[in-house]
Amino acid sequence: MRIIIDEKPVEVEPGITILEAARQNGIDIPTLCYHEAFGGQGMCRMCMVEVKNGTSSRLVASCTYPISEEIEVRTSTPAIARIRRNIIGLLYRRAPNSEFMRQWYEKYEQPQSRLSPDVEESCILCRLCVKACEEMGSSAIAAVFRGTEKRIGTPYDDAATACIGCGACAQICPTGAIAMTESEDRRTIWNREFALVRCQKCGRPVGTGEQLEYIASKGGSALESGLCQVCRKKQAAVRVSEFYR
Amino acid sequence: MDKTIVVQPEKCTGCHTCELVCSFTHTEEFNPTRSRISVINFEKIGFAFPVLCQQCGEAACMKVCPVGAVSKNAVTGAMEINDSKCLRCQMCTIACPVGATLYDPVANIVAKCDLCQGDPQCVKLCPSGAISYQAASVSSLSKRKASAARFTEVFEEVG
Repeated sequence: MRIIIDEKPVEVEPGITILEAARQNGIDIPTLCYHEAFGGQGMCRMCMVEVKNGTSSRLVASCTYPISEEIEVRTSTPAIARIRRNIIGLLYRRAPNSEFMRQWYEKYEQPQSRLSPDVEESCILCRLCVKACEEMGSSAIAAVFRGTEKRIGTPYDDAATACIGCGACAQICPTGAIAMTESEDRRTIWNREFALVRCQKCGRPVGTGEQLEYIASKGGSALESGLCQVCRKKQAAVRVSEFYR
Repeated sequence: MDKTIVVQPEKCTGCHTCELVCSFTHTEEFNPTRSRISVINFEKIGFAFPVLCQQCGEAACMKVCPVGAVSKNAVTGAMEINDSKCLRCQMCTIACPVGATLYDPVANIVAKCDLCQGDPQCVKLCPSGAISYQAASVSSLSKRKASAARFTEVFEEVG
């Protein structure tokens, strides 16, 4: 199927999103909540583009708009620039301490604003953590409350029962809003404490018991050995050395 | 048939050159902790063995990846991690039976041997020829089978 993106005619597979079509053709559309592992969510609205179909034209989120007709797309117009500037202006004030948002803020020139930053907050509600947790098969966290009260949390803010303590949410968070702390033998995340399983040889922490159960359930092997990554290498070498003795 | 890295430990001197080459190729840094190949030295018995990804068929890293970020490169046969798909959950680093996937906190990626897109640098610069990159011929296949048998206790399944 043939569509036009920024006056450039491109050939695309029907059904892919405008965002995918643009990126395949080297046209960059900014996103905050998109991830290649699970696609767009339509949450952040940074990827808004103008779609012209015949004589009508409208603004859509390109990450969730599947191409089914021969449309004409514009990825940067004054209206879109204003939308993106507003989004960044607001989100920066939600996460003023994050290097990630500061970089976006500098990229999108801001007019004078009366809004003051919320120094306590650092979450931009992109929901990448929620999606990552869902991909892990846990779905331990979700967006709770609505409107200005909206935030990411566990059911009733209790210790997350479905959480396996893998920390994928903290890893994917662009603003470092998710606290995961690790002490000698405990990992704390989402109000829950996990006992860390230690390497049988060197005592280094390998992961949480729930993580090991997850791996076993996926058909991963060699866990009975109870060794850390470094000691597993050593074990492999020891086994080979026995044949050369 | 896919070419693969063949290790002959009897030739390995334990010089760790491969680790430096690997880390420099992938990270522009001479840092063995960021290398995807690790030489394990047994000084008392005079034995050294470079441990690296075995590019398993039914790979544990691929099985445990929640988002399918690990896949086989159709050209080189290497199991590769798609960085932009990877969630950094690091399950594969716990699951690998030989510990050949590692999390690199500096680059924030999960790293493993990708056969340098079919031109492994460690093989090129190994001074003693202990690691070689060979097509699986009948003779090298029998060698591989022999070394696979040695790994029987390490791997649960041998293909």
